[in-house]
Amino acid sequence: MKISAFYKVFSPFIVLLLFFSCASDLDYDQANDIKLEPVFIANLAYFDVPAHEFVTGGVEQNVIFDAPTVDVFNDSFFRKSLKKVEFFLEMENTITRAYVLDIVFLDRDNQVVHNTNFTVPAYLGTENKVTRTEIFENTQLALLKRTVRIAFTLKMLPGAPLTEYSSGNLKLRSGVTAYIVVE
Amino acid sequence: MRKLIFITVLFLANNCFSQNKQILYNFTSVPQSLMTNPGADFKYNWYAGVPLLSGISANVGSSGFSAYDLFADNGVDFNVKLRNAVFSTTRKDKVAINEQIEIFNGGFKIAGEQNDSYISFGMYQEFDMLSYVPKDIAILALDGNRNYLGKVFNLGDLSAKAEMLSVFHLGFHKNITEKFIVGVRGKIYSGIYNANSTNNSGYIYTISSETGVYEQMIYSQLQLNTSGIAQYDDQDYEPNVAKDITKRALLGGNLGLGFDAGFTYYPKKNIQVTASIIDVGFIKHSKEVESLTFKGTYKYEGVIPNFSSGNSAGGGYQEFKEAIPLDTLYADYTTWRPAKFNTSVQYSFDEERPEDCNCLNYDPETTYKSAVGAQLFVMSTPRTPLVAFTTYYRRKIFKALQMKATYTLDSYSYKNIGLGLSSHFGPVNFYVLADNLLEYSDVTKANSLSFQLGLNVIFKNTKK
Repeated sequence: MKISAFYKVFSPFIVLLLFFSCASDLDYDQANDIKLEPVFIANLAYFDVPAHEFVTGGVEQNVIFDAPTVDVFNDSFFRKSLKKVEFFLEMENTITRAYVLDIVFLDRDNQVVHNTNFTVPAYLGTENKVTRTEIFENTQLALLKRTVRIAFTLKMLPGAPLTEYSSGNLKLRSGVTAYIVVE
Repeated sequence: MRKLIFITVLFLANNCFSQNKQILYNFTSVPQSLMTNPGADFKYNWYAGVPLLSGISANVGSSGFSAYDLFADNGVDFNVKLRNAVFSTTRKDKVAINEQIEIFNGGFKIAGEQNDSYISFGMYQEFDMLSYVPKDIAILALDGNRNYLGKVFNLGDLSAKAEMLSVFHLGFHKNITEKFIVGVRGKIYSGIYNANSTNNSGYIYTISSETGVYEQMIYSQLQLNTSGIAQYDDQDYEPNVAKDITKRALLGGNLGLGFDAGFTYYPKKNIQVTASIIDVGFIKHSKEVESLTFKGTYKYEGVIPNFSSGNSAGGGYQEFKEAIPLDTLYADYTTWRPAKFNTSVQYSFDEERPEDCNCLNYDPETTYKSAVGAQLFVMSTPRTPLVAFTTYYRRKIFKALQMKATYTLDSYSYKNIGLGLSSHFGPVNFYVLADNLLEYSDVTKANSLSFQLGLNVIFKNTKK
């Protein structure tokens, strides 16, 4: 008796709710299709060498060198998800001598995985910039990922002699654009 | 079938992430209304909830996007839907789940010479999860920083907490005068587990620079506190989750204290004013605590050869790990329960004069058939408090059935219509309350739904 009264009261409410309610088809498996494709920009390398660094004790140093370590590829997740890399390099010279910059990417066995070089002419009083863009994908990128050090070699080409009081700088600015894919 | 499961999940609901129980509040035909106002005008000789069935409630809510927006089976690429969902939200949007089950609940009257006092007591289990949409971090993950030169990504967008606890409570309410009822409730919280990362700050930016190509900074003040979770990380530990939960639920967890307080006042016979404050309390986490921090400042400049000294910088990744280390701490911490404030004003009309009118007994529920009123709800959150405004109509349909219809305005919805029914067949009280009824036209598109139901046995003062 009581049960039937109970149903009388509540069944219309619940039936109405169910009757008017509806649910679109949902597919939660779609979440497995997730694919993130962020693109990050960052500095790659930078230096700013004043003219007097090419002169020691009145004697010109025609070659200067340094090979700093690079550890970004130590991270396996980054290594795995990095699909494409673009380098942007810009050399600006305000010294009255021409230079050649050699950039050599070395792996842990000191083997060359990539190298690039460019020549920047002597400063003549006007803007003096050289830029370059490099793109790495597939095999080239796989090689690049083995990099543990980058060797920078600056060679000064012959010209008017420099002194410890010579003005001007040799500047490198470079950036990297990294295309990441996470699936 | 899928529809049924979905509805069931959403139906096991109440008080949404806002934890606003606007239908239950002051719906004194239901004993559980005492849990929203310990000073509610609820009279009984004794009552007992049917164990585990007296109060079941749960809610899944999301203010920024719905399940349909993300998972609709409509042929649109999931990644497109994900982007649309992320870009349509703001850092204020949140996703939340709240669930409560009363383990037991009961009460009895202590007859006084002038006015009666009432005791109520019980235990319930609660699960609470709240996460703001970490919008800036989501943008970084989806797009990276290339198209956002100059934008400062706010790491403070990361704000989330989850906890499971059991609550033991003992309440007392008393008619100070015929017109004025006050009540208080003490609570002991027994935390089962807690994860909390709500006091984060920091930023990441990339701007153009004359020195390098870019100037890039990361300043991070991120911290995640956990209790009751760390041991599951330990490989030697043989987990027995059921046993752990039972032990911690029965006061073996991280303990806390809190209280509720409230009143009901009748300035005139047909006008009622109520207010309550719920869950003013804290939990002190000292058992099985583990916190992770990610704090520091790092400026990334790239590889910098030093031709004169050979002392060059370049270990960017190592430098980063040293500048912003991931540390593990084992320090106690305290969390505050989300405090809730309710208040209402009600005007009753449609006076009922049954032949057996007990007109000496001051009880507006038996003397008025209808009432209209307004309620205000405020809840503390990790950011700005949540506010909801409700107007309602309450009606005694017939002797055994009471109805309350509500219309609620809050930051999630401006068309939230709710309905509650409470029946009394003899001593058996059954109630069901549901809100956001308009969303039932397609539950997958709903931003929030709440539902409560329960079964009680109530013995009231019968007319002698």
